[in-house]
Amino acid sequence: MVPRHARLLVASALAMSPLAATAADLPVFDAHVHYSHDAVEVLPPADAIAVLRKAGLKRALVSSSGDDGTQKLVALAPDLILPSLRPYRTRADVSTWVRDETLVPWLEERLAKSRYVAIGEFHVYGADADLPNPRRVVELAKKHRLVLHAHSDVDAIERLFRHDPRARVLWAHSGFERPDEVRAMLRRHRNLWCDLAFRSEHGSDGKVDPAWRSLFTEFPDRFMVGTDSYTPERWHYVVEHANWSRAWLADLPKDLAERIAWRNGEALFGAAPAR
Amino acid sequence: MTRRAVRRALAAFALALAGVPSPADDTLAVAFTPDEIAKILAHGPWPPEVKRDPSNRVSGNADAIAYGERLFFDTRLSANGLVSCARCHQPGRHWTDGQARSIGLSPGDRNAPSVVDARLNRWFGWDGANDNLWAQSIRPMLDPREMGMTEAAVARTIREVPDFACRYRRTFGRAPGTDDRRVVVDVGKALAAFQETLASGRTPFDEFRDALARGDRAAIARYPDAAKRGLRIFVGRGSCDVCHTGPRFTNGEFHDIGIAHFAAPGRVDPGRHGGIATVRSSPFNLLGRHSDDAARATATSTRHVAQEHRHFGEFRVPSLRNVAATAPYMHDGSVKTLADVVRHYSELNEERLHVHGERILKPLRLTPEERADLVAFLETLGDGAPVFRHTERGRLECE
Repeated sequence: MVPRHARLLVASALAMSPLAATAADLPVFDAHVHYSHDAVEVLPPADAIAVLRKAGLKRALVSSSGDDGTQKLVALAPDLILPSLRPYRTRADVSTWVRDETLVPWLEERLAKSRYVAIGEFHVYGADADLPNPRRVVELAKKHRLVLHAHSDVDAIERLFRHDPRARVLWAHSGFERPDEVRAMLRRHRNLWCDLAFRSEHGSDGKVDPAWRSLFTEFPDRFMVGTDSYTPERWHYVVEHANWSRAWLADLPKDLAERIAWRNGEALFGAAPAR
Repeated sequence: MTRRAVRRALAAFALALAGVPSPADDTLAVAFTPDEIAKILAHGPWPPEVKRDPSNRVSGNADAIAYGERLFFDTRLSANGLVSCARCHQPGRHWTDGQARSIGLSPGDRNAPSVVDARLNRWFGWDGANDNLWAQSIRPMLDPREMGMTEAAVARTIREVPDFACRYRRTFGRAPGTDDRRVVVDVGKALAAFQETLASGRTPFDEFRDALARGDRAAIARYPDAAKRGLRIFVGRGSCDVCHTGPRFTNGEFHDIGIAHFAAPGRVDPGRHGGIATVRSSPFNLLGRHSDDAARATATSTRHVAQEHRHFGEFRVPSLRNVAATAPYMHDGSVKTLADVVRHYSELNEERLHVHGERILKPLRLTPEERADLVAFLETLGDGAPVFRHTERGRLECE
C-alpha cells in the first residue's frame, strides 16, 4: 500500500520539475544516485524510476543505505539501474563502518544474494583506508570484479590502490580536489575514474572552466556526472541536475561531451560482469 | 571592535583571574578565556551606525518614512482589500505573526521573519530572492498567495487613493505617473524607508558585552550565570558563532542545517537554489535600472552570486536578536520553541547533511542543563520589545 502523500510526492515531482528530457537531448549516465530508506518512504520505487526516466538518464549507478532501495529499483528497471552495494545499513554507518565488525558479514551476505557492479559509495579518509574493513572491501571488490566507489581524500585513494593495484576506483566528487590534484591522480592511476557529483565550479552557468576543460581534454575517458540524492528532497533535483549537466556539456566538443555524459559510464560498467 | 577595546577586556579578564575568587563573586563564577572574550566582543557594539541605502533615493527621507508607514498598515494594496504588510509583520509580535507559515490571501510555505533590523541584510527572504529592501517590499504585493496584486493594480491604487497620491507627490516630487512599474518601485522604496527605521534596541547581552570591553566587574556580575554558561557554549563547543556572527548574530548567508524542506507532501522548497535564480533574473535587483545607486557599488554580491548544487535546501541564517520573541522557528516554522531549536542542534540528524556540505555541523550532545543555559543566553538577546507608536506624520491625512 503506497501512502497517499507518497503518490502526491511523485505526481508533484514530475509535474513541477524542470522540463523533462526529450529524445533529442543528450543521454546522461548518472553515476551518483542514492535511494536510501528515507527516500523509499516518500517516493515509491515505480515513481523513482519515473523520475529517472524523465531526467533522460540512460543509466544510473544507484547505491542505498540499507540496500533494499537499490534492489527495488533493479527489479523494476534492470535496463536502467546499475546496482552498487553501499556498506551502510543506515546512513548513520557513514562514520562507523570502517570499524564495525558486523559489517563485512552483512556485505558478504548481500553479495551472495544479489548482483552488483560496484561497492560504494563509501566514505573513507587517510589511514582509515588501511583498517580491516576497507581492506576487506577491496578484497571483495577484487573477488567479485566490482568497481570501488570511494568518497575519499587522495591519501585514502592511494591506500586503496596499494591494497589492490589493479582495483578500479570511481572517485566520488573527485575527492573535492582542485583540477591539478585530480590530474596528478589520473596520471598516476590508469584505473581511476572520477565523478563530478555535488560540485558546480567546473560548469557554472553553462560554461566550462578552463582548468577543467583542460583536464577533461587530457582525460576524456575518465569523467562522469552524478546528482547525489542524499536526502529524499534531492530526488526533486535529479531532472534539474541532468539538464544543468547538459548545459555545460554543450560547451564541450560533441564527442567529449558524450563521453562524459554517458559513454564513460557505459564503458566502465559495461565491462563489469553483472553477478 | 578596536584592538584597544580587546586589550582592555583581556586586561580586565587578567585582573579578574588575579583577584581572589570566592563563591560569592559572580564576576568569577563563570570565567572566560581570552579567546572566548575576543569572540564575545565580536558580537558588538550595538546598535550599529545608521547608513542610508544608496540604492533607494528616499532612504532616510522623513516623507518617505511616513508614506511607507501608512502603506505598511493599509490593506488597500491587496487584491481583496483585507491584507496589509502588517498582517504577517505585526508590531505587537515583534513584527512577525506567530504562525508557523504565514497566511496572506492563501496559506504560504514559509515563516514570516521579523522586519526589525532588515536594513542590515545583504539578502532578503529565507531564500535571498531579493538583494535589497525595496525589492523585498514589492515581492509580497505581487505574490498571488500574499497580497495578490498586479503592478497595474498597485499603481492604480496609488493614483486613485487621494492620501496615497498626495504622499507620493510629497515624497517623490511628482504625481504618480502612467508608468506602472515606476510607481510600484517607488512604493517599494517608501515601504523600505519606513522599515529601515525598525531597529532593535540594546539588550542585556549588549550591556554585558560592553561591560566586558571596559572591564566593569559590577556590570559583568549582573549578567546571569546561566546566560554566561550558555554564551560559553555558543562561542565554544557549539561553534554557533561560526554562522551567527557579529553584532547581529548572523553571517547573512545560507546554510543547510538538516531541516526537511518539503513545502508540502510532494513539493519541495528549493531554498537558496531557487532564490539565486530569482534574484539574478529580477528586474528589481541592484544591477537593474531601478536601483538609484548609479555606481552599482551595492551590487557586487549580486554580480557574482552563482548557483551551486549545495544551495538546494539552504536557507538564510537568521539574526538572533530578539530570537526569543519570534517563535516558531526555521524557514517553515516547523520548530516550535527556542528549547526545540537548541535540541535540534544537540541531536542533529547527520544523515540529512552532505558530508562535504556542512562540515561544521555535528550533534552537540548537550545535557539538559546545558540546553537550558544556551536558551538562557539566547533570551538575553531581547530588547524588551518596545511598543511601536505610529508617527504623527504617518497618522495624519496628507493634504
